[in-house]
Amino acid sequence: MEGKNYNLPADAAFFPEGVERCSLLRFVLHLVPIVLLGLWGGYAAFRVLASGLGVTALDDYFGFGLWIAFDLGVIALGAGAFFSGALRYLLNIDKLKNIINLAVIVGFLCYSGAMLILVLDIGQPLRAWFGYWHPNVHSMLTEVIFCITCYCLVLIIEYVPLMLENRQVVKNRFAHALAHNFHLIMPLFAGIGAFLSTFHQGSLGGMYGVLFARPYVFRDGFFIWPWTFFLYILSAVGCGPMFTVLVATFMEKITGRKLVSWDVKLLMGKICGVMFSIYMVFKLIDTVAWIFGILPDAGMTFNQMFYGWIYGRWLLFAELIVCGVLPAYLLLRARYRERPALFYISGLLACTGVVINRYVMTVQTLAMPVLPFDRWETYAPNWAEWGASAMVFAYAWIVVALSYRYLPIFPQERELNKK
Amino acid sequence: MLDRRGFLKFVGGAAVGTLATPVVWKGLDDLSIWTQNWPWIPRLDKGNNLNTYISTTSKLCPSACGMRVRLVNGRPVRVLGDESNPLSRGGVSALASAEVQLRYSPARLKRPLRRTADGTFVAIPWYEAEALLRAELVKAARDGGLMCLSGDENGTMNELLSALTVAMGSSDFYLMPGEAQTTAAAWKSLGGRGRVGYDFARSDFVLAVGAGVLENWGPVVGNRRAWGRARPQDGEPAMRLAYAGPVQNNTAAGADWWLPIRPGSEMAFLMGIAQLLFAQGCPSAGVESFAELAAVWTPEKVARATGLAPERLQQVVEQLAAARAPLIIVGTDLGQGGEAAPVILGMALNTLLGRVNQDGGLRILPEPEPVFPRAMSYGDMMAQDFTAAVRAVADKKRAAPSLLMIYEANPVYAMPRGAGVEELLGSAGFSVSFSCFLDETARRCDLILPSAMGLERFDDVNTPFGLGEIFYALCQPVAEPLYESRAAGDVLLDLARLIGLDMGYATFREALEARAASLGLDWAGLMKGECAISRATLPLESLIFPSGLIAEALEGRFIQPEKGALAVATFTKLAFGTADSAIPPFATKLITDAELTAGELSASMNSATIRELGLREGMKIRLVAGEMSLPARVRAFEGVAMGTVALAAGFGHTNFDAFNNGKGANVMDLFTTVEEPGTGLAVWRCPDVKIVKA
Amino acid sequence: MSATQEFRIKWGMVIDLDKCTGCGSCMVACQAENNVAPAEDGLNRRRALNWLLVYRLSNGKPFPDHDIAYLPRPCMQCGKPSCVSVCPVVATTKDEEGGIVSQVTPRCIGCRYCMASCPYHARYFNWHDPVWPAGMEKTLTPDVSVRPRGVVEKCTFCHHRLMAAKDRAYAEGRDPEKLPDGAYVTSCTEACPNGAISFGDVNNPEHKVHELIKSPYAFRLLERLGTDPQVWYVSRREWVRRLGDNYLNNEPTKG
Repeated sequence: MEGKNYNLPADAAFFPEGVERCSLLRFVLHLVPIVLLGLWGGYAAFRVLASGLGVTALDDYFGFGLWIAFDLGVIALGAGAFFSGALRYLLNIDKLKNIINLAVIVGFLCYSGAMLILVLDIGQPLRAWFGYWHPNVHSMLTEVIFCITCYCLVLIIEYVPLMLENRQVVKNRFAHALAHNFHLIMPLFAGIGAFLSTFHQGSLGGMYGVLFARPYVFRDGFFIWPWTFFLYILSAVGCGPMFTVLVATFMEKITGRKLVSWDVKLLMGKICGVMFSIYMVFKLIDTVAWIFGILPDAGMTFNQMFYGWIYGRWLLFAELIVCGVLPAYLLLRARYRERPALFYISGLLACTGVVINRYVMTVQTLAMPVLPFDRWETYAPNWAEWGASAMVFAYAWIVVALSYRYLPIFPQERELNKK
Repeated sequence: MLDRRGFLKFVGGAAVGTLATPVVWKGLDDLSIWTQNWPWIPRLDKGNNLNTYISTTSKLCPSACGMRVRLVNGRPVRVLGDESNPLSRGGVSALASAEVQLRYSPARLKRPLRRTADGTFVAIPWYEAEALLRAELVKAARDGGLMCLSGDENGTMNELLSALTVAMGSSDFYLMPGEAQTTAAAWKSLGGRGRVGYDFARSDFVLAVGAGVLENWGPVVGNRRAWGRARPQDGEPAMRLAYAGPVQNNTAAGADWWLPIRPGSEMAFLMGIAQLLFAQGCPSAGVESFAELAAVWTPEKVARATGLAPERLQQVVEQLAAARAPLIIVGTDLGQGGEAAPVILGMALNTLLGRVNQDGGLRILPEPEPVFPRAMSYGDMMAQDFTAAVRAVADKKRAAPSLLMIYEANPVYAMPRGAGVEELLGSAGFSVSFSCFLDETARRCDLILPSAMGLERFDDVNTPFGLGEIFYALCQPVAEPLYESRAAGDVLLDLARLIGLDMGYATFREALEARAASLGLDWAGLMKGECAISRATLPLESLIFPSGLIAEALEGRFIQPEKGALAVATFTKLAFGTADSAIPPFATKLITDAELTAGELSASMNSATIRELGLREGMKIRLVAGEMSLPARVRAFEGVAMGTVALAAGFGHTNFDAFNNGKGANVMDLFTTVEEPGTGLAVWRCPDVKIVKA
Repeated sequence: MSATQEFRIKWGMVIDLDKCTGCGSCMVACQAENNVAPAEDGLNRRRALNWLLVYRLSNGKPFPDHDIAYLPRPCMQCGKPSCVSVCPVVATTKDEEGGIVSQVTPRCIGCRYCMASCPYHARYFNWHDPVWPAGMEKTLTPDVSVRPRGVVEKCTFCHHRLMAAKDRAYAEGRDPEKLPDGAYVTSCTEACPNGAISFGDVNNPEHKVHELIKSPYAFRLLERLGTDPQVWYVSRREWVRRLGDNYLNNEPTKG
């Protein structure tokens, strides 16, 4: 955009007030590979729906695979939306308004993407709504289905006013009024969202914790909730806001523009540092209790939990130490947090740690033989599973790109980019 | 007046209101259930819940399973065990269990096929096929060049086929090589009369040498039923079982003791038992030559030949001595092409233990009287050696048959690659196969006639091989023959009449009725599934121990294999079919890494052998013996004798159906035929193999 | 999560592992009875659909001390099933007298959570639509619906046979809740040529299994996980019993 300010892009009328965007051609061109990726993923999704799950690499040992790990991962990372929302609207941490819009978009994309994948992942998509019609109140998955769909609605409600704030759209009186009214009731939805999201983040963990015949994930707990219920909430709020920061930073790198001020990011980092540290304390206690309680009760040893390289101890070490204790410590201590390189690396590590956690609890649980005469099995997703996941990635990229180009999601952008 | 706003309100309200009623939700619910009834998902045909049951006997399963076939509105849907069957007592083998489904095997022949000049097949109507065969029969009757091979093991069908062969001026009627012929040859060498059976059910200690008595040997379902009943879950076993063989197969899995011996070392093992029995004071009067031969076979010498620890041999002898009714059964895993010498030793040992004609011992059964005039006697049939005849044709020592007639047999697949079956088919003037399936042999014939399966025709089972009593049961059609298939017996009787031969019966059913009458059995009872059992025996006459033959058979054996060479042992599971059939549809799910690894035949070896040869598990290899070779993959299994590689038999079909083709390799590709020293019997043998990394 | 429900009648299976020789007759009978489609390529053990699967057990010793056993694994019909409470749509329940864990395939949405919960691998997913070779669909029994792709299924202890036995009892004026021993058995029980499988009401002293499960050699799979299975195994071989559950080195084998 070197100094060609006067030569505005063709769609400049739709840009948020006072910001610069690249030419329409450049924007469209950058989307080409993404769209191609999305089309390939769309084809994979079509094949799955048309021919059934036989086209995936899933099997009777790995009924859950990449998709479930992907869903749990993105839902944890998308937790920035509800948690920052709760802090912004319920605890009135005003500074967060500078990043809350992005958090909402990321959250929406994570949740809607997860739902897309879930529709593919269930064998009978036409019966997807049975979760409402024939709910089993004892199942954590019922809770997940309820909360995810409801929360996705909440995220849509939170996203709609953003869309209405497009410079052209907002000229419409009705849209303007609607957006305004939505903003007024936003604390209510932030509250509902926080409630729903907390619960299903927990239920996702509970889903695994209740599997009492799967010693790898089974956990005791409090009342009807296994400890994983709480660990999932903590880990999600510990990494979600950082993920939002990482996305913002990534967008800054791509666009070459400052979008969120460093102090806002630092605040998010500080929040994450605290939450992630709390999580790690409990996670370590949980791990010790698992090794010395759950496993011996099941007649198993810690060593039996690992197999070869693919399900080796390095995963646990990576999750708990490199991507656990280390980022928690770095984010907690202001001295390290305030150094951008360490800050971003810590964020990446924390997010990676949580994704590893979701992966091993999904896949390693199933890979491990519980019957003493069974053996370890290994799982590698195939093109159809990667493709469908790539479709969601492409979808998210496109939505973020469009939102950035046409919606005023970064209140600080104009200020930060003043020449 | 309804304005725009009012209208919108109404529509919105109606939409919300409808959602509050069950209409939408119930509709969706029904929709989602009924949209699952896709047209390509078969709907169940309840057939007015009209269930009928017909008792019959399996011709597919060599154990002559008694079956109660369940029909729904006349449609056979299930093979169930028949509790009232005195032999199988409600048990049903994995093979017989799939018999109604096998009727619809994609390999099932639908109509007669004739080979054309360019080697392809064309479907022809039956009258044309019959005319063709009739012309060939007339020709063969003139030159006496008919050769007939039967895959039936024990039915009256063999009498019809042999009678026809004889009537055509030929003596070339053969049964597919099986354990029965080997046992008959052995019995003959001892100078015995009649036929031999083993009274498995009444024994309290069975020593099975090579014979898979709990999986594929003899009347196996009957054996297993008896064995199971003798071992109540809540009491002490009334029968103990020891199995000597190179592979820890399904029989070994059920045995109280598995005695691992190297392939081909059965004789050394049996001589060792004889040596110990004689040493323990077993009277040698009358069998001095046996005692003399056995004297050198000390447990240590036996251990060198078999690889079995001396104390384990001693233990077996102690058990034999302690048992009330011990029984030694010698056989082979393949149940085909076995050597007679070990069987002779087994019989001699049973005699030594005083077990002949005893309950739970070796019993001498009278041979059945033929009902077809001119039919070969049981003894004559047994003396016919197909392997030798094939060899002779291949070696040009005798003329090729002008007409080769194959009845429900698949020698191209089931006989050694080196036996010369393909050459025989190539040199025969005309070849015809009566077959249920388009198998490897049928595809090499000039004319293929679709046979009705056992469930679709009248047939019978007259004392399955190995059984220690006379047993007779009827097979009756539970359904019409599928497609254009016909019962071969009736087709042949029609043809015989047309060429002016009087076989004595117009239909095969008539012959069976005559059989029933000759046995004094009530036809109506047989049709209800009743079976006849007789415990009559022939008296034991003095047997002569063929010491010269045994000495010759022992000579030059049990040499340590060449370095790096492995002895081959096979293992057979009935679920994967027989020599005349193949893997039935459901049984593909029974295949494990014991049989196939990554789609290729598993070459199972114990870990010490694998280490010694520097192999790795899962490695692609070739087993090579001279010009023959077989692709396989290394599999570690500790239930295989030292220096031995174990291979599953029954795989590697090339022309059957999708459930069979391309699965593993055929062990018969490694086998060849040799003349057994001493008996002169044409036996099948697998030479030691070398392993080449592929 | 849900409390264990106690039943007056408890259908149970007792399998004598010393009498199982691994022939597979039970597996074939099961497939035929329950209209499970045959598989041309049944070799993928992680995809082949079997309600009953025979496992091969090894004592782990090298030749010549090696021993082998076979273990048929139906659905354990657990007293405390891990699968029932997790199903989001109540497609699998344990609420009928007799304690058989049902599987309602028209209700199942195919989420496979039950499969993840079951340590016995007793549950199978229809990865493809079932296919029978042309004509073979005529051998389908009228008793068990054919399942489309995308749903989970499992052994039901041949529940349709229980229904038929009850119907017979009604028709003959007997009490359908007091079926005599042998009036209702599963297809595998019936087919086993060795008689290795016994079946009956373990709560009924008139049924043989009532006594059999008291054998000192009887055990259940993974008992310590608390699933409370309704399938018992019997073996006089200690190594076989030890493979029935996970044990720490210093723990003695139960049974």
